[in-house]
Amino acid sequence: MSYELTIEPLGQTIPIEEGQTILDAALRAGVYLPHACCHGLCATCKVQVVDGEVDHGEASSFALMDFERDEQKTLACCATAQGDIVIEAEIEEDPDAENLPVRDFAGTVSRIETLTPTIKGIWIKLDDAEGMRFQAGQYINLELPDGIGTRAFSVASAPSESGEIELNIRIVPGGQGTRYVHETMRVGERTKISGPYGRFFVKKSADVPVIFMAGGSGLSSPRSMILDLLAEGFERPITLVYGQRTREELYYHDEFLALAERHKNFRYVPALSHEPEGSDWQGFRGFVHDAAKNHFDNDFRAHKAYLCGPPLMIEACIGTLMRGRLFERDIYTEKFISAADAQQVRSPLFKAI
Amino acid sequence: MDMKVAKKKLGLKEKYRLMTRDLGWEPSYRTKDEVFPYVKYEGIKVHDWDKWEDPFRLTMDAYWKYQAEKERKFYAIIDAHAQNNGHLNITDGRYLSALKVFLQAISPGEYAAHKGFSRVGREFPGVGTQVACQMQAIDEIRHAQTQIHALSNYNKYYNGFHAFADARDRMWYNTVARSFFDDAMSAGPFEFMIAIGFSFEYVLTNLLFVPFMSGAAYNGDMATVTFGFSAQSDEARHMTLGLECIKFMLEQDPDNLPIVQGWLDKWFWRGFRVLGLVSTMMDYMLPKRVMSWREAWEIYGVENGGALFKDLARYGIRPPKGWDDAEKSIDHMSHQFMLGLYQWSFGTSLHSWIPSDEDMDWLSAKYPTTFDKYYRPRWDHIRKLAAEGKQFKNFGLAKLCQTCQLPVVFTEPDDPTMSCHRETSYKGEKYHFCSDGCQHVFENEPEKYVQAWLPMPALFREFEGDVGAWMDWVSLRDGQDNGDYVGSIDQRNFEQWRGLATSNT
Repeated sequence: MSYELTIEPLGQTIPIEEGQTILDAALRAGVYLPHACCHGLCATCKVQVVDGEVDHGEASSFALMDFERDEQKTLACCATAQGDIVIEAEIEEDPDAENLPVRDFAGTVSRIETLTPTIKGIWIKLDDAEGMRFQAGQYINLELPDGIGTRAFSVASAPSESGEIELNIRIVPGGQGTRYVHETMRVGERTKISGPYGRFFVKKSADVPVIFMAGGSGLSSPRSMILDLLAEGFERPITLVYGQRTREELYYHDEFLALAERHKNFRYVPALSHEPEGSDWQGFRGFVHDAAKNHFDNDFRAHKAYLCGPPLMIEACIGTLMRGRLFERDIYTEKFISAADAQQVRSPLFKAI
Repeated sequence: MDMKVAKKKLGLKEKYRLMTRDLGWEPSYRTKDEVFPYVKYEGIKVHDWDKWEDPFRLTMDAYWKYQAEKERKFYAIIDAHAQNNGHLNITDGRYLSALKVFLQAISPGEYAAHKGFSRVGREFPGVGTQVACQMQAIDEIRHAQTQIHALSNYNKYYNGFHAFADARDRMWYNTVARSFFDDAMSAGPFEFMIAIGFSFEYVLTNLLFVPFMSGAAYNGDMATVTFGFSAQSDEARHMTLGLECIKFMLEQDPDNLPIVQGWLDKWFWRGFRVLGLVSTMMDYMLPKRVMSWREAWEIYGVENGGALFKDLARYGIRPPKGWDDAEKSIDHMSHQFMLGLYQWSFGTSLHSWIPSDEDMDWLSAKYPTTFDKYYRPRWDHIRKLAAEGKQFKNFGLAKLCQTCQLPVVFTEPDDPTMSCHRETSYKGEKYHFCSDGCQHVFENEPEKYVQAWLPMPALFREFEGDVGAWMDWVSLRDGQDNGDYVGSIDQRNFEQWRGLATSNT
């Protein structure tokens, strides 16, 4: 049995299973709630229940006082939903979140292109004439046939192209879903998506120069974000530091070169980590974080940085940015907190990165 | 189109800002430097105090409401404990020694922390910081009080509890904890925050409190469990303050990094030495044991501490300098220190004892590479002597480490058969240390540590070596508070009263 959990002040609604704690449901949906001990003693995860019934579970009577229970407070790490509930948590309000509702869309695969030996571009034309409203950087769930289920992919196209959604999908060895996309999916095929999901988008209201760091198949969100910013005339400097192993994996390279030609505030810094020596590559050789350090001369102050890519790349980039004086409040990662992450031993030093 | 628009609610952060930050003001007839004279001399550079985050958005009126209810609940349980002879529900009278360690060494530390936070709350200019320090100062005095009240019930029945404050200030094994807090309280405000707010409250707190509180739960001591719960509900706020402080320093200016690193090196090692007492309590003093010191270190030291230093590495912080030496000492320290307590048990305000066969089998299972090889033979020898009526006593006085004040009883990190001893000369005087870590701490600030008050030299200086006069001075009643548990008044009373409570004879 599943209920709906609405988290204020985000206004985001997510599913919560019977017996699942509020904290677990939130973390799995990518919503960070402050927490520490995870067994009802420290009260770090205290939230206000605005509507609905909860079971307080094993919350200690010293961590959740009687008067707080009367005031409908609860500890997210222990509390389970008894029906649909609304909570208010200590989450920063985000002036850039549009909190767009998630909807289901039917559509047709309109185009398939081989972008690199391992990545395919898939275009899905939606039946709904108005298309899907989304914020650049958000993702969708793609429904796949044959009992495969749904898979999450970031949207690679700009929000202005809301009627036809582009996805860039890398084949994952042994992955059922990505193998289907690469080997079986055909133009003209009917499909369904739901979205938009996620809280990874540009903090436009901050109005400071932005850095995008992308690697592997993490280019989708930054590409959508950059196209969006340039289309609406964002005037601050935009820098894309984009890494792949080799030149043949460096998809959309020419497009970014052309964008850099056309927009004087857009700088493009490609980096190849495993390009064969002696090839005609003139750009940076090495990893994304080193390319960024080099390009910015180890000084990232007064920027906002958006990171997309494999976990090792993200970690290296965070370290580089912090040693170049850019800290947590200005670093954003496209990261899905999986159940495994939620259980991993991490220090509470950082919350979002 | 008529769309209903929900009115946007004021976020919790915004509400809190309106209720606290506006409390600050700019001084007009004195300069900021005059109002906050201590905030710059440590060399920490701060450019923007408003970047200090206070994630616990607690206002003073809400704070009182919480603490009042905690106190009501706590005292209800303490009263019930007293009325129902809760002291007879503990597993065994040996457990009382763990409580004596706590009351003599740790509870006064809570009071010291209270004084320290009151002071730094005044010395820091930022409003968020001031409010957080003020609340923590009140928390700490509450913790000291609830602990003393809870344990005062045991003082009605057993020895060694009556003069915990004297024992703390003057007794050789307790001045280890005292000197730790004195060192922190006589440091600048930022160093105090790293020492207490960060090292103690975050890095070491689980190693300190979890063993005591779980130990209490395992051994039937509900009064102690209750003050543990009551205190732990404040801990999240304390840890956050320490973590925010270190992030703040590291983010404000790159020049702060080497200063912070130096403090982390120092306070990790200082704290680790205080844990020597805790390791012994865990491995030897709990009749029903929770886990070994080694197991606790694996979870709270290696795993949690490792995760923390991995995150701090992003700032360029490396693990504390003494980390490897600490790891090497884990399988030895509790045994070495218990042997120390036992051989000098005539000078302790708690009882120690020779571990039983069952105890020793447990220790050898938990310390397979060290206990049977290095420590069981010593206990066997001590037991043989005891059977012949000769209790193993060392009437020589221990040489104390000038920094941590522990007796120099530990071994070389890489050779458990060799006693570890370091010395250094400063202005013509020779100073002794238990380890490289303590020697480094001294050498960084010799003028501070040459002033350290050490209990063993004091015995000669103040009492010309008269142990009886010294015992009076530390409020130690010979034959009551000290010596072997076997044959003690505590043992006799506990067993007699428990017998009355659980049988008809």
